[in-house]
Amino acid sequence: MSVDVVVNENDLAEMVEQVWVSYLDPEGVSPLVPTGDEQQPSEVHSSVSITGSWTGHVVYASSTEAARKAAAAFLAMDSEEVSQEDLSDVLGELANIVGGNVKAMLPPGCFLSLPQVVLAPESATKYPNAERISGLYGVWEGEPVSVSMWQSRDGKKEETA
Amino acid sequence: MKILIADDSRVMRQIVTRTLRQAGFGDHDLVEAADGKEALEKTTAEGPDLVISDWNMPELTGVEVLRKLRAAGNDVKFGFVTSECTPEMQQQAEAAGAAFFIVKPFTADRFDEVLSPILG
Repeated sequence: MSVDVVVNENDLAEMVEQVWVSYLDPEGVSPLVPTGDEQQPSEVHSSVSITGSWTGHVVYASSTEAARKAAAAFLAMDSEEVSQEDLSDVLGELANIVGGNVKAMLPPGCFLSLPQVVLAPESATKYPNAERISGLYGVWEGEPVSVSMWQSRDGKKEETA
Repeated sequence: MKILIADDSRVMRQIVTRTLRQAGFGDHDLVEAADGKEALEKTTAEGPDLVISDWNMPELTGVEVLRKLRAAGNDVKFGFVTSECTPEMQQQAEAAGAAFFIVKPFTADRFDEVLSPILG
């Protein structure tokens, strides 16, 4: 049985800020600027699943350009040098880092999956029997980036979108 | 000294390597392992002085690697660098004999603080 979520948008923002400060914007010159636009488009996404005392998914989504910039920053290379493998690996690591930090805020007894990466818009993936409960939507250097949490609905039948 | 970096993420192995360099530990001999099984095998075969391991890895988790090493009488210095940090995990790590617990995302300052007493 899942418990009520204890991770809200502000918590997500704090985790994301740590990622930016550590890896993507160590100089503090190009932070992720929240827009709150849940409808913003994405071109790639990655996710981790959490099971146990809380069950659901943590999803990182962005434009391909934002993923390329993130990969360049993570791997200390130029954007033009970033391969598709680099981009996928960095997207997976972003979901893993945020998912791990989310897990740390949940009640004991949760398990984190290995990350899944999909080089297609977030809308291409469906999370059966789960609903979005919180999300951080923003723009980084003009490119859309989001982190959202999807909580499984216990005992409810899957709804088709 | 020889340091083994165990993480199934190639990106994170690179970031750990870069952060070690930034923290002033770039002149050590670095070895990589891409999953828990490889970490166990390489630690046994290559005898590193320090293992820096992810927690959540295929084949064997980091703490399983540590337990197997200790069960085999290997007392290599071993610590975790992981995105997951719950009190229960820290307790498990400590009980298994881990020397430190670094949470991702991390900075070079954090590496320096934790690893200086170990690496000198």
